[in-house]
Formats: sequence, C-alpha cells, structure tokens
Amino acid sequence: MRIYVCVKHVPDTAANIKIVGDAAYDTEVKYVANPYDEYGVEEAVSLVEKNKKGEVIAVCVGDKGAANTLKAVMAMGVHRSILIKTEDQFPGSDITAKALCKAITDDGGADLIFMGKQSVDGEGMQTPYRLAAEMGLPVATGIVAFSHGGETVNVQREIDGGAKELITIKTPCVLGAAKGLNEPRFPKLPAILKAKKKEIKEMDLADMGLTDQGQCRLKSLEPVQERSNAKILEGSTREIVASLVQILKEEEKVI
Amino acid sequence: MDTFLTEKHRIVRSSVRAFAQREIMPISREIDEDRRFPWEVIEKMGKLGYLGIQAPRELGGAGMDAVSYIIIIEEISRAAAAIGLCASVHNSVALYPILAFGNALQHDKFVPDLAKGKKIGAFCLTEPNAGSDASAIEATAIKDGDHYIVNANKVFVTNGGVADICVMFVRTDPAAGPRGISVIVAEKGTPGFVVGEKENLSGMRANPVCSIRLSDCKIPAENLLAKEGMGLKIGLAALDTGRIGIASQAVGIAQAALLDGIKYAKERIQFKVPIARHQSIQNMIADMATQVESARLMVYRAALLKDQKKPFSKEAAMAKLMASETASRVADMAVQIHGGYGYSKAYGVERYYRDARITRIYEGTSEVHRMVIARNILD
Repeated sequence: MRIYVCVKHVPDTAANIKIVGDAAYDTEVKYVANPYDEYGVEEAVSLVEKNKKGEVIAVCVGDKGAANTLKAVMAMGVHRSILIKTEDQFPGSDITAKALCKAITDDGGADLIFMGKQSVDGEGMQTPYRLAAEMGLPVATGIVAFSHGGETVNVQREIDGGAKELITIKTPCVLGAAKGLNEPRFPKLPAILKAKKKEIKEMDLADMGLTDQGQCRLKSLEPVQERSNAKILEGSTREIVASLVQILKEEEKVI
Repeated sequence: MDTFLTEKHRIVRSSVRAFAQREIMPISREIDEDRRFPWEVIEKMGKLGYLGIQAPRELGGAGMDAVSYIIIIEEISRAAAAIGLCASVHNSVALYPILAFGNALQHDKFVPDLAKGKKIGAFCLTEPNAGSDASAIEATAIKDGDHYIVNANKVFVTNGGVADICVMFVRTDPAAGPRGISVIVAEKGTPGFVVGEKENLSGMRANPVCSIRLSDCKIPAENLLAKEGMGLKIGLAALDTGRIGIASQAVGIAQAALLDGIKYAKERIQFKVPIARHQSIQNMIADMATQVESARLMVYRAALLKDQKKPFSKEAAMAKLMASETASRVADMAVQIHGGYGYSKAYGVERYYRDARITRIYEGTSEVHRMVIARNILD
C-alpha cells in the first residue's frame, strides 16, 4: 500500500511574524511541519506499521528550507519525500493542489492520501478539496477517527455542534486530519539519524509543465489588530442592557 | 545559536523541546512540590533514546554525539531541572564510565538496560568526609576470591532512590593513597545494599537524592571497572563528561528564567506602563540574555571539542563554571523582575532560583572548577 501525506512547511505558531512590504513576511523565523499534517503523518505511519507493509511518502510544496520539515516527518517514520520547490511564499491552494496531484500521479499513484484539514498559516482549508477534485477522488476533512477496511475506509468527521459524522469512503481517497485523530509521536533519537539518509526527491514547481500557474494571488498582509480587553458589565439586567445599548451606540457606533 | 547547529541537531532540539513542553512542563511544579519522581515521563524518555544518548546503537543506545546530548539536557532542564539532572547523571557519570572503561562482558551486562532506561544509573563518590577531595574516600572493597566485600557510606547520591546500577568509588588498597581507589559497579538488590531516606533538599526536589549504604556487600569481582587503582582516573574522565551535562542543565534553567522574566516584564504594569519599558528592567533583561547566550556558546564549544575527539577538560570546566554561575544570577534577576510574586511558589522563577543554586556545587564546586582551570592554564 502506498500512502501519500501532504505536508506544509509553516512558521511555528509561537514565532513572532514580522510583515515585510505588502505581501510578505520575514522568513527568519522557526518553521515546523503544519501541526494538522502531523496527525496525517502519524495515522499513515501507524497504519503501515500495523500492516507491516506499505510505504509512506511525504509531498510538500515549499521553498528549499522545507527539506528540514520533510526530514522531521521522515524522523517520525515517513519513508521518503518529494519536495516541489517554489520561491512563492504563498502559493495558492489551486496551484498547490495541481502540483501535488501531478507529483503523486507521476510517482505512481496513491492508495490513500492524508493531509491536515487546514494549514496554520494560510488557514484556507481548500487544499484537500482541490487536490481531491484534481485527482477525481472522494474527500473528507475534519477526520477524528479512522479505520482501514481494504477497499473502503471508515472515518468520523467533526461537524457543527460537536456532533460527529460517520462515513464510509471508497479508496483511494483524500482525508483531511483534525486534532483528536491521534497523538503524533515524538521521534526516537535513532530515527532522527536514519532520517538523514532517507531520500528527498526535489523538483521545481516551474518545471512541472503546469500550464495554469494559479488564479489566486495574495494582495496584502496585515497584522491582526490587538483586541481591546473585554469589559464585564455589572448591575441589574435593566442597568446592564441600558449600558450595553449606550456602548453600542456611542462608543462602538454600531447601532 | 541555531546558526551553529546542523540539521540533525535542529530536529533533535525541536523534537525534544516539543516533548519537554508537552510531557514535562505541565507537571514540573507538582513534582517539585510533592517531591515525586515521575516514572511515567522517565519511561517515555527511555523509549525515545534520551537515557542512552551517546551509547552505541548495538548496545541499545541512540548513538548520538555530545552536541545532541547537551541539547537534550538543556531542553529537558528548561522544563524541569530535576529531570534534566536525572538524565544528565544517568547518561554521563553512570553510563559513560561503564562504556569507556568497561570490558565487553560489562557492556553486555549493564549498558543495554541503562541505555533503554529499563534501569536507572547513579554515581556514588561523595561521602560524609570526602567531597571535593575525592582521594579521601573511606569506602572499602576487600578482595575475597572471585568477590569483593564492599563497605561504603555514600551520600547525596543523585537518582539514589531509584537507581539500579551504581558506579561506586571504593578503596581497594588502603595503603596506596589516591592510587588505591577503584570503581566497582554495585547493583541494587545485592544483600547489604541499603538505600537511605530521601534528602530534604532546597531544589531538585523531584530527584530522589539519597544516601546509599553498603554493608559487607558481596559484589562479583567481574564488576570492577578497568583495573584496581584506576578509580580517580575513571572519576575524572566521568566528571569531564558530566560537567558538560551539568553546564547544559544550568543553561536550561537560565533559559527558562530568562523567558519567564521577559514574559512577566511585558505583562506587569507599574507606573501605567509594562515594566519592560523601564530602563532598569531592560538592563536586567539585556544582561540575562547576554549571559545565557555566552554560557550556551561555551557549553557548545566544549561538546564540539569532545565530538572532534580533542581535549575538552579545560573548556568543560570553564563552561560548567560559567553556566552554573549564570544560572544563579539569571534566576536571581528573574525573581527580582517578578518582585514579590517571584518569591511565591505561584510562579516558576522561585523554583529556578532554588534549582540553579546547586549547579554551582555538584559535580565539582565552582571553587574546584577554578582550580582545574587555573591548573590547565598555569601548568
């Protein structure tokens, strides 16, 4: 069985991001594997371990620094990696999906594809759907439980209101992992040494022969405005409502 | 700092940091207050290879280098110095002398269980009348056929309460002075091997530091490391390696104190502004950060020299002196930044302050380190 895991090289959420120019940020920050993708890595690696056969291949669209992230997931047990290089800090999910599709297809095709339900930088939540559409495969995201039944997989996905949906999907399919699916492992020290020797096949996004170079362009980046502190109104209901109306009218000017 | 690291070391750092933050940080206050040795964490560390960092793979170790070792000890100590201490002592002064001076039989007998963390190691040198003067030890091992009869009263044994395998310094020839000292590996469970009460220490409270007493304990002669009379040589070699570990432990404590100090200085409002805007606090932060960085660089340098198989004794002593004194100063400043709250157990800096203090004392006091450094320079 061949399982692909799409992994994104993202700034650590604890990093202090500085915006440079209109639509870029200072890349001198710590990067990590997108945490949601790590749930996908863990699920894929443990499935192969359980079956005692199969291969897990990580695929990443990112800059050359993304090789570090691929080594980190290979230390978790991924067998080899494909890095599709681009200098673009924010490749759109459309071009990313096309590139992932081509790389996976050219590499031999998938029995299963895992990825995070979203990335922690762009948070677009588009790539799993777009990749599935490109590949003509079924897709489910927000996966919190998974079991493999050969021709099909059974998954639970989180839906609104804390409810869970149980779905059976035909394989191959694209699955977007969510928090709760598993507890990603910490790599054992010898595995970190072994990861150094694992293969990373590199290619350039520009050379992949994709005619459509993507319809999404990032126009500008702005830091999130710091929220002002919450104010707790006290008094009787009548007084609270009166002061709330006053705040909405006079301070916030929303009514 | 990361500029100097290879990719492998960066992955080691980020994975150990993630482990320490997720598995150790949440319990660090509780294990200090309850003086609890967290077996659940130690078992996980064993499985990940953190308890056999530099032991060869064929003996169950992780086969990593000294730089990986100090990264791991720093990151664990940042979360809980008492656990960093357990790992440092286990890896360096317990496991290392067996690896470096043991024969193949001893390697097979002791290393795999230690390297996988199935057994915990300890280093038994200090006695009531022998500390900095290691040659004054009174423990004896008298040869009796294929055994030694060992009598020893060892104190302040780090990991003592949980240790299965003890690297024990004994006198095999009472007449030979410093040349009469040898090292024998004593195992818990041997009749006459008695673990004393836990010491009620100021810091490192999650580590079961105990006394260990051996009374007419019959230990197989095959457990003697190298030859009779090699004790001090083995001890010094072990402590050279141990120093790098304790130095990185001190850097970990100092880093934790620095980060907590910065965080609090940005949050605490006095005179209508965060105290980080006051110059006196800025000066403290600048000094703390500079000192932590210089200590860390010195520790890395000592570890790099060790990896390059070059002499590192002086550099290790300098790094240990610098890092331990830095940890004390930086933890002290972090308490100062926190004001009254810093003196309360509600904040971590009070623990760093207590934990940092011992790093200037154990595995060679600051005074002994100055002596070692001066000898290296003047001789």
